[in-house]
Amino acid sequence: MTDPNWGQLLADFITWFVFCYFIALNGGYLALNAIALRALRLKGQEMFMADLPRAYSGLEPPVSILVPAYNEEATIAASIRSMLQLSYAEFEIIVVNDGSRDGTLEVLQREFALLPFPEAYRRRIPTAEVRGIYRSTRYPNVRVIDKFNGGKADSLNAAINISRYPLVCGVDADSILQRDSLAKVTEPFLRDPSVVAAGGTVRVANGCTVSGGFLTSVGLPKNIWALFQVVEYLRAFLFGRLGWSSMNGMLIISGAFGVFRKDTVVEVGGYRRDTIGEDMELVVRMHRLLREKRKPYRIEFVPDPVCWTEAPEDYRTLKNQRIRWQRGLAESLNANWGLVFSRRGGVPGWVAFPFMLLFEWLGPLVEIGGYAFMIWAFLTGMISWEAFGAFLFVAIGLGILLSASGLLLEEMSFHIYPRGKQLLMLGLVVILENFGYRQLNAVWRLTGLYRWAMQKESSWGAMRRKGTWQSGAGK
Amino acid sequence: MTPSVLPAGASVSFVTVAVWTGLVALALTLLLALQIVLLRMALRRRERRAARAVARWRPLLNLAIVGEHPALPSLSPRERMPFLHLWAHLQGSLRGEASEALNEVARRLGVDALAREMLARGARDQRLLAALVLGHLQDRAAWPQLLPLARAADSALSLTALWALVRVDPDAAAEYLTPLFVEREDWALSHVAGILQQASTPVARVLARILPQLGEERLPRALRIAESLRVMLPAGVLADALRSPSSAVVIAALRGVLTPDTLQEVRALLVHEDWQVRVQAARALGRVGERSDAARLTALLGDREWWVRYRAAQALRELPLLSRADLEAVRASLTDRFALDMLDQVLAEEQA
Repeated sequence: MTDPNWGQLLADFITWFVFCYFIALNGGYLALNAIALRALRLKGQEMFMADLPRAYSGLEPPVSILVPAYNEEATIAASIRSMLQLSYAEFEIIVVNDGSRDGTLEVLQREFALLPFPEAYRRRIPTAEVRGIYRSTRYPNVRVIDKFNGGKADSLNAAINISRYPLVCGVDADSILQRDSLAKVTEPFLRDPSVVAAGGTVRVANGCTVSGGFLTSVGLPKNIWALFQVVEYLRAFLFGRLGWSSMNGMLIISGAFGVFRKDTVVEVGGYRRDTIGEDMELVVRMHRLLREKRKPYRIEFVPDPVCWTEAPEDYRTLKNQRIRWQRGLAESLNANWGLVFSRRGGVPGWVAFPFMLLFEWLGPLVEIGGYAFMIWAFLTGMISWEAFGAFLFVAIGLGILLSASGLLLEEMSFHIYPRGKQLLMLGLVVILENFGYRQLNAVWRLTGLYRWAMQKESSWGAMRRKGTWQSGAGK
Repeated sequence: MTPSVLPAGASVSFVTVAVWTGLVALALTLLLALQIVLLRMALRRRERRAARAVARWRPLLNLAIVGEHPALPSLSPRERMPFLHLWAHLQGSLRGEASEALNEVARRLGVDALAREMLARGARDQRLLAALVLGHLQDRAAWPQLLPLARAADSALSLTALWALVRVDPDAAAEYLTPLFVEREDWALSHVAGILQQASTPVARVLARILPQLGEERLPRALRIAESLRVMLPAGVLADALRSPSSAVVIAALRGVLTPDTLQEVRALLVHEDWQVRVQAARALGRVGERSDAARLTALLGDREWWVRYRAAQALRELPLLSRADLEAVRASLTDRFALDMLDQVLAEEQA
């Protein structure tokens, strides 16, 4: 009797493990896709109603729009002006100058005729010291907080402290909204009093035309990095979030545009200042604490495109963004371990959190490890070329299937990209992104995990913006 | 190439499973691609059909809107959906004679019968559209079909049916459906209020009748509906609600205080233990209070809750016969720093 070949058995085990992991990962997302499909179908049937003339009843909950700004002197005035044109019954805009080192405050003072305002400041959530509060004499619903630098989360907390209204909406200063964005995202709050947070679909603005702060025509970017991100955003929002939302298990609401019930945000302690992913962390914490307190709640996703954002167009910026996102994810999950498999965890604790942990947090490690192992095993003769080829066939094939299903959902619902050429281009990108881009992404995310493990400090993410898609914004 | 050292059986089984999985993924991807192409082609066809229908019908509908009586061609089956969308869209922004002229066109084309047919047998999107059309047409014959639909679990369908029923017969709809408005918490209050605007008088009558029989869990919503419709509830009904042990009921009732009939009850609530009640009591006093209430509101400026102080300061500003000089005198009398800051803020808001 010969001794078992332990090295070979281990290689076999790892091969099967990596293979099964890829199947489970993609299978999980395809299941989410199936759930999202039903929600989108119902939504599609009601879509014509949204085009009908709309009247406000006066019972829509008023919203405080929170706009943190750090070194945004070039774009802040145009952003606020476009937000002022949102069509909604009642809203206020609170801009927070987070100790900018450029002329952000001066621009705001000049463009909005700010005067110091004797606000009886209420410090419900601790923040960095507030230097002053101003009110626009041109627009009564615009106020500005000038404070010492404390980061984006700290700025949002300061804005929450002075906000007047029951709903707060965090918006990135460079987000491009649609006129009906607020009306769409507050819809779940009207329908269901237990809704504590709602987010909408964020799309890539590169390649689109923006005028006067609003999107006037939709196009695809020419830049390949941005093109890859168009498909990524389709996947992430249309079935990722919509699928989870249908089960009340959504763990992320994009910081670019999300509406929260203020009382609940204050009750759970506001945005955490020591994390990069303050948007996700807040949502996961809300799940954890509200479940612990046995409070009925819902966190909903609105599939309508409500916010457009500029995607990075160069390697370095994109890489840094993805590293930050992965760190944010790791921090958010790590800060809320109490939710996972907890007695009252429900779908967020028993399904969504473990899913995120297994496929988003751990994903890059297994993906990169898996690819590295398979290449090594192939080169050293541990596996045959047929096995190696079959592995690549599955990994890439499932990746393409997943992206194609995102494109199908888009085509079934909003068909934002109207031209046949655009659809063809997206189809091509769906295939292309699986040959290098997704693997590169996994490497960046692995770097993010490493940096999280090394506990490097967090700060405002520096983003190199080109804004080539803008025409007339700010004029 | 280095030969594989993997046992032949194991290697083959992995390769077989992997290849089959990959083939399934590939086949599904091709199916999805086909589906995407078919969807896009169907969309194009629908858009072309809609464009043709709009080009044909829009001028005729425009003529009808301005009071002319154009000769109408027959409505072909392919034109039905785009025509109904166009018609409903135009109706959404019209009132009076223009709206009635469009209804006349629709009746001449047999759209009322078509919509009733769609409501009975159509898919969900067709039923939604049909209910909308029948509401605009104020089609009495559709009442028996719309009524059960208004009780459907599907919120969008039921709300659209409700809207149609209120358009058809506001009095009857109020009688049948007001208890339902109170019960159905999945109906957004703002939507319900919007729908009920034109039936506010009959709804007020029904609300006044059913309010005393409602339990504490239903009362707040009923009172919010009354508030949204600016319904003047009988003072006795409101006073009973203001004396309720439930804070939720008291808060909803305070929001509906529009006359001084319940002033004594409102004043008593200024010292309620629940700060949210105190907030609403201060607001109500701002609406219906007297000059003599200034002292009560001034005392609230020192409340431990920010919102109570804020609303008390606003209410002071709104009290009748209280001049700026009176407010300055109140300010000069304040020793509490928090009260002073709050009054300063509210006075500054007034100047802004």
